[in-house]
Amino acid sequence: MKRIDRIELLDQLEQRSENHISTALRSFQNATPLALLRQADNGGWSIAQCLWHLNSYGDYYLPLIVEALNASADAPAATSFGSTRLGDYFANMMEPGPDKKKIKAFKKHSPGSIPDPYEVTAEFIRQQEVLLACLNKARTKDLNRIKIPVSIMPLLKLRLGDVFRFIVAHNERHLLQAERNLTFTGEINPRIHATAELQKSP
Amino acid sequence: MQPWNEDDWEAFSSIWEPVSAKRNEQLTRPGEKERYLYFVAEGVQRVYYSDERGREATIVFTYAPSFGGVLDAFLLQQPSRYFYETLTPSEFIRALHISVQRLMTERPGIQTLVLKGIAASLSGVLERLVSLQIRSSEEKFRELLQRSPHILQLVPHKHLASYLGMDPTNFSKLMNKVRI
Repeated sequence: MKRIDRIELLDQLEQRSENHISTALRSFQNATPLALLRQADNGGWSIAQCLWHLNSYGDYYLPLIVEALNASADAPAATSFGSTRLGDYFANMMEPGPDKKKIKAFKKHSPGSIPDPYEVTAEFIRQQEVLLACLNKARTKDLNRIKIPVSIMPLLKLRLGDVFRFIVAHNERHLLQAERNLTFTGEINPRIHATAELQKSP
Repeated sequence: MQPWNEDDWEAFSSIWEPVSAKRNEQLTRPGEKERYLYFVAEGVQRVYYSDERGREATIVFTYAPSFGGVLDAFLLQQPSRYFYETLTPSEFIRALHISVQRLMTERPGIQTLVLKGIAASLSGVLERLVSLQIRSSEEKFRELLQRSPHILQLVPHKHLASYLGMDPTNFSKLMNKVRI
């Protein structure tokens, strides 16, 4: 597979994750519980369910990544990253896009009803902070040699670079889904936006 | 504020260097000297205390255009008791303690301005003490909304809850309840 400079890859993933956490801070944590809990018009997941689903992946992957990064020695700066065929396949499958098929979630990652939507949102924000710290720490590491077992088939291990690509693409996929709900309901807490707008204008 | 003497301005503006930081970078940690006075050009940061049991108190938020850093540790050149941490990607200019100190000794105009700056931040701290001691959670929440509504869209609400001296659950309830 084609190799990519690891800093270039990490920069891209960091920029995307920056956008993800900004969306959560700006929109989701300021939305009303009603907006967070309402099912999508097509019967799909609510915003809180989308975030819960992403958190269930973070619960699994982030501690493993933190541990692996702590345990691995620094690598020479010139070590580039190369996706494996399988890693590339999984990461690309998660990338959002107009022609993408719906994927059925595995049982352990399927959200039920959400008792506290603010707690789920706060946990998502916390996990994005951890992910950004991992992306930063990975700058000095070899993204090929660190391997992480896949959540739905632990016997399969993927390279850390591909696991990062998978997580970020998957986050983006479901954040776009969640944002569509927000557009439908238009229920971001209106007073915060009104006052914030007021303060912006001199 | 009295107008700047041109020479003073020249000298003062020459001691700053630009610096940027990512999200959640700790610029100062407990036990470290605060070497710099920061001036925030972009982003939000916080000064916070953390005890041995991991309990946190967010004491101050800084954002443009204001000074930043752990002010007491900077002025006294004693080990900091607090963290200074970025909460969003941030841009600053900063000046070394020795440079600020030298200008204050050499130029009475600058010394006066620095003292006024410190007095203003002391006023802020005293006002906050009043608020923390006598205002209800809802009143404190309203005050924050009036004073800095933009911050609700930029930083995790748990830090705002800590700043107001309430737990995050209570903060969520107020988010829901308080209407302007």
